Amino acid sequence: MVKKLVILKNITKTYYTGKVAYQVLKGISLEVEEGEFLAIMGASGSGKSTLLNIIGLLDKPDSGIYIFDGQEVNQLTKKELAYLRNRKIGFVFQAFYLVPWATALENVLLPLLYRGKINKEDEKKAVELLKRLRLEKRINAKPNELSGGEQQRVAIARALITNPKLLLADEPTGNLDSKSSQEVMNIFKELNENGITIIMVTHDPEIADFAKKIKIIKDGTFIKE
Amino acid sequence: MKTSFFQFLKDIFKELFSNKINFVFMFLALTISLVTLNTIYSLGLSAKKQVMDYLANLQFGKDAMFIVAGGGRIIGLTTTRRDTLKLEDVEEIKKLDFVKLASPISIGTLEVSYKGVAEKLKVEGVLPNYVFANNWYPKVGRFINEKDLKTMAKVCVVGADIPKKFNIKNILGEKIKIAGQYFKVIGVLESKPFFGHHRWDKRIFIPLTTAQRRVFNKDYIEGVKLLFRKGTDIKIAEKKIKEILRKRHKLFGIEPDDFRIITPELAISIFTKTMRTINVFLLAIALISLTISGVIIMNLMYANIEEKAPVIALRIALGADPRKIIKHYLIMSFFIAIISGIVGWILSIFLMQIISFFTPLKTFFSWKVFIFSLSFATFTSITFTLMPAIRASKIEPAILLKTL
Ligand SMILES: Nc1ncnc2c1ncn2[C@@H]1O[C@H](COP(=O)(O)OP(=O)(O)OP(=O)(O)O)[C@@H](O)[C@H]1O
Ligand SMILES: [Mg+2]
Repeated sequence: MVKKLVILKNITKTYYTGKVAYQVLKGISLEVEEGEFLAIMGASGSGKSTLLNIIGLLDKPDSGIYIFDGQEVNQLTKKELAYLRNRKIGFVFQAFYLVPWATALENVLLPLLYRGKINKEDEKKAVELLKRLRLEKRINAKPNELSGGEQQRVAIARALITNPKLLLADEPTGNLDSKSSQEVMNIFKELNENGITIIMVTHDPEIADFAKKIKIIKDGTFIKE
Repeated sequence: MKTSFFQFLKDIFKELFSNKINFVFMFLALTISLVTLNTIYSLGLSAKKQVMDYLANLQFGKDAMFIVAGGGRIIGLTTTRRDTLKLEDVEEIKKLDFVKLASPISIGTLEVSYKGVAEKLKVEGVLPNYVFANNWYPKVGRFINEKDLKTMAKVCVVGADIPKKFNIKNILGEKIKIAGQYFKVIGVLESKPFFGHHRWDKRIFIPLTTAQRRVFNKDYIEGVKLLFRKGTDIKIAEKKIKEILRKRHKLFGIEPDDFRIITPELAISIFTKTMRTINVFLLAIALISLTISGVIIMNLMYANIEEKAPVIALRIALGADPRKIIKHYLIMSFFIAIISGIVGWILSIFLMQIISFFTPLKTFFSWKVFIFSLSFATFTSITFTLMPAIRASKIEPAILLKTL
């Protein structure tokens, strides 16, 4: 039997702007098995990022149950959540979020900084990853010296350095031209074929097509397929 | 572990230097007030050292004590009799095994004249051992000896300023008039540095016996200087001497002492009292300026954290727990403190040089100032970075997924 990596039950999330309450997620339930490649789609403002924040343990739901990799995470402390993110989840953002004063290599090694140990092996692995993403000539470049596509590939290397079980990507191609977008999606596909579970948010149907499965959010819940 | 900590520091420094203006202002804010504070502190140390040197020069170092007739306040009017301290008391004190030397003094201000020039001067009746008690020797001629004492000779030894005061070229052998009697000058003392009101070089010394019987007509003395053997516990010595004097003067119960014991420490505290009042005032100013620096640092740190919020959020998303973020900014502020502390210290040394050029205060080197500078810098910087650091640790990583 395939293990379930993500189990969401009746997740809700409400934002308050002043006194106005706006319920973004109205009871979302979702199960993601290991090895899946899921694309989440929906209109702007439909709550895709909000949901991805919750899945990535970056935010907490107001109600509902979340079981991540067999562990209920609702009651965990910030420190425990930080630990889980560091060990099991890789992030790829639309805006890349590379540390501007660090080189490509240092950016890739960043998650290991918070583990307390970086050794020669790790550095070798980071270089390997950068090579695999065809960045071998940009190892010591600063983010502002890199193109958008290159930056996103550095970000992917950073997400992979910890061997995460789950890769989360929010509009990973949103800031890229179509050639770079294709490239990034091919990398994702290959990673997924090698066993990494991917949940990706996008509103581009072409990009979503790379996924094995697509779910659409509307009015705070998934549309029944 | 090592590599990771090094990378951690590298990340901190790079972040700090990524906004150089911000860094320079934090550094300046702290350094300027540290320079002031360090300078004030070292001026205080320097003044204290000068007082100590001065006292040491008078043989009033660690192993000395002065007993003055009359009880009551340390400075100002006495509230008891002051005619009770006698040479017999001195004899009794000399019997204590830790007393190396006792030099009694009978003192008064008298009219001194030479060829029509007259002036009121301090005249002291002393024993031959006065020179050893005060580390003060004749430049020319000789000091009072035992024979002068026995014969109640009318001889005197004068301070270095006296010849000039009375316009005498060859003072040795000249006769000057003290309270209507002629005294032969047998010696001139070396010049002594003066401090405050004590113009040593304007004093005149005569044999104690002559002073008591022929000049002052009194059997009591004004004070006695004691030197102790090396390693004497001054507290115990003080206690024993007090006991002897109280017993001999028949003072019992709550009756106050009719004498005062002045230890070097007490003397220093009197000398530095005024200094301290000034220091407290300057210190208050310096502390206010440090607080202002602190607030500047705090605001710049807040600005920095605001600017770096996405990076901080990223660190948290990638697994830095809140404590690591706080540590990150405290180390950063510690680094600023170290730099400012060292630079502030070096600049204060230069400032001291300049001040010593225009004032009698001497430059003074002490590692105490270095430690002082670093501790104040660290304290200020860390204290005022604490709040911004805590705020940084509370940044929500969720902001990373917000639409730009
Ligand atoms: N911190 C917040 N406070 C208040 N409202 C918020 C907050 N974060 C998100 N929202 C609102 O919640 C709704 C969902 O936001 P979310 O970012 O999840 O949408 P999205 O589906 O990712 O949109 P997009 O495709 O534009 O990225 C939006 O209307 C947004 O304005
Ligand atoms: Mg979004």
